[in-house]
Amino acid sequence: MSWLGAIRSWEGFLFATLIAIFAVNATLSPQFLTLSNQINLFQLSIEKIIVALIMTLIIINAEIDLSVGSMMGLAACAFGFLFAVGVPAGLACVIVLGIGVIGGALNGYFIAYVGLPSLVVTLATLIGFRGMARVLVEDRGITGFPDWFDALGQEGLIGDIPLALFIFAALFVILYIVLQKSGFGRKTYLIGNNREVAAYAGIDTARHKLILFTASGAISALAGLLFAARVGAVRGDVANGFELDIITMVLLGGVSIFGGRGTLVGTLLAVLIVLNLRNGMALMNITGHIQTGVIGLLLIASVIGPRLNLSGLLGRPRPEARP
Amino acid sequence: MTSRKTLGLTAAFMMGGASIASAQTTLEAGQEVDMVLLPKFLGILVFDQANEGAQEAHAELGNPGELLFVGPTPENSVAGQIEIMTTSATQGQGAVMLSNNAGDQIAPAAMAAQEAGTRVVTWDSPIPGGEGEDVFVAQVDFGSIGVVMADMAHSILGGEGQMAVLSATPDAANQNAWIASMQEALEGDAKYAGIELVDIVYGDDQAEVSYNRALSLVDQYPDLGVIMSPTTVGIQAASKAMQDEGLCDQIKVSGLGLPSEMVSYTMNGCAPEFALWDFRDLGYLTYYTAYGMATGQLTGELGESFTAGRMGDYTIEEDPGRPGSKRILMGPFTVYTAENVEAAAQ
Repeated sequence: MSWLGAIRSWEGFLFATLIAIFAVNATLSPQFLTLSNQINLFQLSIEKIIVALIMTLIIINAEIDLSVGSMMGLAACAFGFLFAVGVPAGLACVIVLGIGVIGGALNGYFIAYVGLPSLVVTLATLIGFRGMARVLVEDRGITGFPDWFDALGQEGLIGDIPLALFIFAALFVILYIVLQKSGFGRKTYLIGNNREVAAYAGIDTARHKLILFTASGAISALAGLLFAARVGAVRGDVANGFELDIITMVLLGGVSIFGGRGTLVGTLLAVLIVLNLRNGMALMNITGHIQTGVIGLLLIASVIGPRLNLSGLLGRPRPEARP
Repeated sequence: MTSRKTLGLTAAFMMGGASIASAQTTLEAGQEVDMVLLPKFLGILVFDQANEGAQEAHAELGNPGELLFVGPTPENSVAGQIEIMTTSATQGQGAVMLSNNAGDQIAPAAMAAQEAGTRVVTWDSPIPGGEGEDVFVAQVDFGSIGVVMADMAHSILGGEGQMAVLSATPDAANQNAWIASMQEALEGDAKYAGIELVDIVYGDDQAEVSYNRALSLVDQYPDLGVIMSPTTVGIQAASKAMQDEGLCDQIKVSGLGLPSEMVSYTMNGCAPEFALWDFRDLGYLTYYTAYGMATGQLTGELGESFTAGRMGDYTIEEDPGRPGSKRILMGPFTVYTAENVEAAAQ
């Protein structure tokens, strides 16, 4: 692909946008390029971007998981609850990951085998998981976790780089190979494009979806634990509303909400754009309301941009054009 | 006997001498330091008033640095406060003045800020565990708020009846401390024996949620006499709910409210009595404290005293509600009724 062709792809466009934001930030803020700021930039949203990776696969599969934020909250609160009643923190982590697997599999079962729309099922579990989280911690904050647990979220594992960032990088590589280089990935795209065709082609689409939603639950639970470690305290509203930020990043990355289209590289670029944009605005003391507005505009642009048939310019196929 | 007395006198004299030695620090004006006033979130009148007070002190002290008023959006309050705390440390701000809405979740970010050389002064709502906090500027003595609320309930109910509490978020350190102190007052004094506290519910400091919670309290407790709301958002929403449903004859609203927001409800009898302190003063005193610390003129040790401009002298003391933490007590506060609310609402 020529240099111009690369720019014309959606990923190329995102990359150019990222470079521009990076350049503006670096010019306007003397602190932007410091190592500690670059780590903080990831650290402040690390749980969301970890979940965004598995969300990419879910949406490419033409489904959605709205329950991820609530699962993060449930995981954090279940950890706090177990710790408060005397379960050793290490064992509590294992139990919590189990809760993630069960919760995710529950979503997957109703979607894949009962045949309910994922929008409905995960909306229900969004409410249900959050309710369970609030029941577990009963309107209070739980803190005082063991030092090793807090350190995992707050201190560098190697150098200044925290554990969560390594998890993000490792998960990116694993899911990249799964999605872009394996049969499982090709099936993910095919089912997302046309589930009936995939079924006629002999793919066990239900099992495929069950696996994806179970993974989503488990990864969300892991992200919830990482959040608890980073802030060193939990309460019922942990990760409230995170699902919208996560889905925003995935859609901005060029993943089609109709399924069948998108890449993990696109999601990664969108994640970097949102994080750098937020960090730059924060360093320039722009308040939360305006930050939210700017991110919203960016999402609108990413959705309607291709519809304006700028494809000659951007090269992103229009959603109607999909098979 | 005599020698002992002499010893006692000498000790007293020495202590007197010590307190003279660490006498009032008068803060030197004109030193440059950048500071951040970080409210729970933006768009709440009392926080804007606190900012006015801080801006007043900023101008008065002639600080050539910058005073920023930045905050998160309500739905992103916890993550937003952590983000702003972290960013402020990166920017090398001299101090962050925080009205904490994140419970102990902000502690790691606040401790990291302190390590980076940023002083953390809390106001309105402290960090519950006290970690990551240099000092808390308390609006009033948290214990006395409980007594004032119990007294207002006593007067509204005529000494006998049911009360429910409509609070802010479940682990808002300030509201929880005030409710606890009210419960203590109710249990500890026979005067309040006729008052029954039936429930504590949370409106998350959002008008619509608080409004609905107030109405569900009415459904749940048919004999309810007063809704006590220790938050300016909750008291206004509850008053509006009672007014809209025409319930003000049976159920009164009380708690902590802003005269300008409550004047109509006090005059029409829905909220005959409520209390509050001046948020402008709180912002002003917080600024003086943070300025003193960020410029190195105050160390933040227990017993240290300083003069905060027009508001007079203050001393850093141990926070009785949070052992091991330090506070500066502003106090006192005003009870508003139909007599004085109109003048205060101007």
